[in-house]
Amino acid sequence: MSSLWPEHLDEIVEEFKDCFDSMERYELLFEYAKKNPKPLPEEEWTEENQILGCQSRAHVICLLNNKGLFVLRSGADAQIVQGLMSITAIAVNGLKPIEVSELTPAFVEEMGLKAALSPNRANGFLNMFNRVIKEAKILSET
Amino acid sequence: MLDIDAIRADFPILGRVLPNGKNLVYFDNAATSQKPQCVIDAMSDFYENYNSNAHRANHTLADEASSALENARSQISNFFGAKPENMIYTSGATEAINLVSYGWAKNNLHNGDVIVITEMEHHADIVPWQELSKEKGVEVRYVPINNETFVLDMEAFEIALEGAKLVCVTHTSNVLGIRNPIEDIIKMSKKIGCKVLIDCAQGAPHEKINFETLGADFLAISAHKMAGPTGIGCLLTSIERIQEMGPFMTGGSMIKKVTTDGSTFKDGHAMFETGTPRIAEAIGWGAAVEWLEQFKMEDIHNHVHEIASFAGNEMEKIPGIKIFGDPSNKDSSGAVSFLHENIQSQDLALLLDQGGYAVRTGHHCAQPLMDALGVPSTNRASFWIYNTKEEVEGFINHLKYICEKFG
Repeated sequence: MSSLWPEHLDEIVEEFKDCFDSMERYELLFEYAKKNPKPLPEEEWTEENQILGCQSRAHVICLLNNKGLFVLRSGADAQIVQGLMSITAIAVNGLKPIEVSELTPAFVEEMGLKAALSPNRANGFLNMFNRVIKEAKILSET
Repeated sequence: MLDIDAIRADFPILGRVLPNGKNLVYFDNAATSQKPQCVIDAMSDFYENYNSNAHRANHTLADEASSALENARSQISNFFGAKPENMIYTSGATEAINLVSYGWAKNNLHNGDVIVITEMEHHADIVPWQELSKEKGVEVRYVPINNETFVLDMEAFEIALEGAKLVCVTHTSNVLGIRNPIEDIIKMSKKIGCKVLIDCAQGAPHEKINFETLGADFLAISAHKMAGPTGIGCLLTSIERIQEMGPFMTGGSMIKKVTTDGSTFKDGHAMFETGTPRIAEAIGWGAAVEWLEQFKMEDIHNHVHEIASFAGNEMEKIPGIKIFGDPSNKDSSGAVSFLHENIQSQDLALLLDQGGYAVRTGHHCAQPLMDALGVPSTNRASFWIYNTKEEVEGFINHLKYICEKFG
């Protein structure tokens, strides 16, 4: 893992940086929304896995696989949040939970999607990301 | 006719370039309007030259501040066809409605009394009545809207009105832009001796509200949607109603005398203006009213209607877009709520923002209305005096592009 994000994210980060403008970046993000490696379908959305403070509906489940490595499953009705969570899942799945707990959303800023990180925006990605980090911390202590 | 170029020149923020290099196009006026330079200057002038507390001291600055606060009251009340003694400064329409609930209804309504509100109310005109219901056992009746025409079901209103003691209705829906037949509502309510509160937060920026002519018992108004600053508004009410009210909050300006044995309060509107007055905000609102007085409110309404109607017509042509409300109705305000069938509202708002278009997204503090419409949220473009048809054309083009690419 590099200092800011796992190396295997570099290619995705570059892909976003190469976009002509913000609309092209969001178009790419919508494509990633369809590529969630571990989606959480709507049937599994519960109050327990709901992210509070989002105007959009967003849900996450964090668990460890049989090798003790991190698995993030997520779902949201907003495609922008869903796309960012897909990329987050690509970033964290297969890492040790302690590695996940040290992750920051710097890759999102580097991708040119800083607006998605503002706590004043009611899009919910930051709330979801913080929940993942919090759960990773708990899982790393078990 | 309005000179829109000259009007736009009064609003420095309209020249703002956003961090992504796009020019700001501000279509979130139903949330808050922008402020003309004269309002900004009036507030700065207060802080730069005569900032002082009002009604408390015997020095020059205090005298100037007190005079400015009361001059603003005269100016604002006059704008709304009321006298200064009819006007109670509040933090906005929300506090004005809460003042009616806690100051008047709590003292005059009893267990089993009926309050009639509507499904299209802002939370500010729902929750105070729900709270009062819990505390006093009053019954709250909700008048539904017609889901096809989006107008208030007046037959249902007539039925709900039976035996009611208080009717609380929004002048204009902040979501639908629909103007309610408030004159009929007031007339019907008064006929049975029922008191009426009209939430004018959305109506005041769009038409001339006249307290005397309307004849409602209470009018709740916010300054910030009509070119004034945030943090101030008022309740307009009659002397008779004021005399029936008890204090809502206590302390500060409303005090006559306090001893260890108890306290006495000032009479009239002063009883309800606690703490340090919102002096700069009142001055700013006065300046906003003065700025608005150079126009006929009818011209403002016609201009906004023309733009909203054009926007609504063009948006309806875009596949996947559904409009909630009736922007083509001549009485509607500038609020146009819409949704795309495949693009989630938060996503759509962020994509519109990439083009510089500021629209509101969410439940608009009207969740019962969202439930009635069967949606969790809507996008809302809302127009005002300084918006132009050219801005709307740009918006439509950007919206079309989004719908083609992301829909």
